[in-house]
Amino acid sequence: MRKLPVYLLLDCSGSMMGEPIEAVKNGVQVMVSTLRNNPQAIETAFISIITFDSSARQIIPLTELSNFQMKDIQATGTTSLGEALKVLSNSIDTEVAKTTPETKGDWKPLVFIMTDGMPTDDWKSGLAEFQKRKTGIVVACAAGNNADSEALKAITDNVVSLATADTQSIGKFFQWVTASIGVSSTKVEDSGKEVGGLNELPPPPSELNIVV
Amino acid sequence: MSASNYILSLLENKKIISADIVSDFIKAFSEDKENISLAEQIIQNQNLIMMNFKLKSRIEDIKRLSIPLKNGTVGKDFKSVINYDDLNLSDLIFTEFRGLEEIGLKYNEIEDSIEGNPIQSGDHNIQLLFRIDGENEDSELNIKEFSIIINPDPKSLWKDIESDKNDPFWKDDNVSTVDIVGEKKIVIASKRGRSHANVGSFRDDDFAYKYFNNSGWTVVAVSDGAGSYSLSRKGSEIACNAVVEYFEKHSDIDLHKDFEDKLLEFDMSRDEVLLNEIQILAKKNLYKATVFAHNEIKEFADKLAIEKPELFNNPKAKSPIDYFHSTLIFTLFKKFDFGYLVLTFGVGDCPIAIVNKDKTITSLMNWLDVGEFGGGTRFITQPEIFHSESNPMATRFNFQIFPDFSYLFLMTDGIYDPKFVVEANLEKNEKWQEFISDLEGNNDDKSKVNFNYANEEIDIELSKWMDFWSPGNHDDRTLAIIY
Repeated sequence: MRKLPVYLLLDCSGSMMGEPIEAVKNGVQVMVSTLRNNPQAIETAFISIITFDSSARQIIPLTELSNFQMKDIQATGTTSLGEALKVLSNSIDTEVAKTTPETKGDWKPLVFIMTDGMPTDDWKSGLAEFQKRKTGIVVACAAGNNADSEALKAITDNVVSLATADTQSIGKFFQWVTASIGVSSTKVEDSGKEVGGLNELPPPPSELNIVV
Repeated sequence: MSASNYILSLLENKKIISADIVSDFIKAFSEDKENISLAEQIIQNQNLIMMNFKLKSRIEDIKRLSIPLKNGTVGKDFKSVINYDDLNLSDLIFTEFRGLEEIGLKYNEIEDSIEGNPIQSGDHNIQLLFRIDGENEDSELNIKEFSIIINPDPKSLWKDIESDKNDPFWKDDNVSTVDIVGEKKIVIASKRGRSHANVGSFRDDDFAYKYFNNSGWTVVAVSDGAGSYSLSRKGSEIACNAVVEYFEKHSDIDLHKDFEDKLLEFDMSRDEVLLNEIQILAKKNLYKATVFAHNEIKEFADKLAIEKPELFNNPKAKSPIDYFHSTLIFTLFKKFDFGYLVLTFGVGDCPIAIVNKDKTITSLMNWLDVGEFGGGTRFITQPEIFHSESNPMATRFNFQIFPDFSYLFLMTDGIYDPKFVVEANLEKNEKWQEFISDLEGNNDDKSKVNFNYANEEIDIELSKWMDFWSPGNHDDRTLAIIY
């Protein structure tokens, strides 16, 4: 079985405290229970959660949807986006199977990054690590006015922004992530091809602005 | 604290006395029988309050504690043990769980487990009613709420929506057939994949075959229309029919005759040089068939593009024929005194394999166009395959003689992906033996295909066998077996 790995990098810095972090938690819950009812996603999509504040860690290893259970997350500390990219790189190395003559490897991982602030660590060294890995589509979401969309632009061409980091906007972002994972899992199962770019994903809701 | 000390510290707190100076009057007051009794009551009540506090805060802790339960799946036996000791819950006096029965589960008090066969998917709320050590036996029960996740049965999520019969390029979702081809029989089944049924789209696979009574040749073609190209179901249909039509009507008569004569001569002489000549002739003939198939599709595509330009709106397509992208494999075989001459052609990722009579050797007849990350396949509809330098057209043909064979298989990737997984396995006889054993009923569904010549229902059996469940593999499936 070829997995479709999905990594969610979630900013849990102090500025996310209160409404935003609750909205993120809820967004992930709703996302997982929606995807569980998508016949292609439940068979192929595997989800991992990496959180970052003053440091970064993988709180949920790459887990098949049917076994996934969300963990509690708290908002505290600074914004170690660079370290999160390093954790992501290591996770890809150990969790995503490469193609060999004897086995078919996994699909290239999808990565969704969400942050509401400026990276406070040496994010460029994390980015250098991350760029050595083969990934599928990478989407970064700048939530609210304080997010550094320039740094996100360096990570990926696909940057979207939310005007405010409130419950409704964050909820819409996760709905769009859910639909994108659904489309990707249908595409790999159906045509044996991966999603190549943002234009092949469902159109983002009006709350999401594409940053060019 | 003794009662008299309590009285002294009370007076001290009220700033009536100071700790180090206690007069005889105060001493006597603190030891007065009535005062002692009152103080004892206070101390007792304080102790009660503290005990109550401990109980209540412990209950709150228990309510907040997360109990790790596995996720279940509808229809799959479920059992998740709650280890009360590991959770530091040995003071919990269990009474009952609520909300389990509705989802098909129950609590097993002997094994401390939640178990059963879930019937309802979702994030379900479960209540644990409990007391803890120290609470009165008739006290109100405490309620701990937590959730249990039950996944839907993946099979139940697939919809089976009929394809649109009014579509000009509609084809049957399911077809199967059995026939006699010379001294062999052929069974073919082709069915729409679940991913297509789920959205009501069409079967993209196709096949065609013909046994030529006058010459003794049999031709069998199988094709897989590329899912992401809108008219590929028509492409696969034209490709298969064109191959049969070519050998039926258009095959160069002189070439045909020359070829047959040389074969008969070889049948007598077994001359290797002659065999080489035959091989070249055969491949030339096959080549013409592939060009014919390509041109038939191209002609159809170009004509349709003028008649119905609205169908051609895919920015990825460069020319009308791209909308018809299809793989193609076919075989031509005939029995001679020297054995079966088997000719094959293949473009795309569909294998042709032949198993010898005693099933000890399986020969893969074609190489597969597969890329590292999928999508590396090639199509009969691509003009570049005819003059590719990296994958010369000549290498797509095969010419072999077998004394006899037990099975000759042609299949699309809908069968090959789940059953062989990787290309390397197609080279392994043991994998083909597993595949044959699977066809013979050695599978989870006990679905069996009986290859006895007298079995006239074999096409229905094969079609049923092809319903096998394989997570992540829901493509169209086509399998042709000559046996």
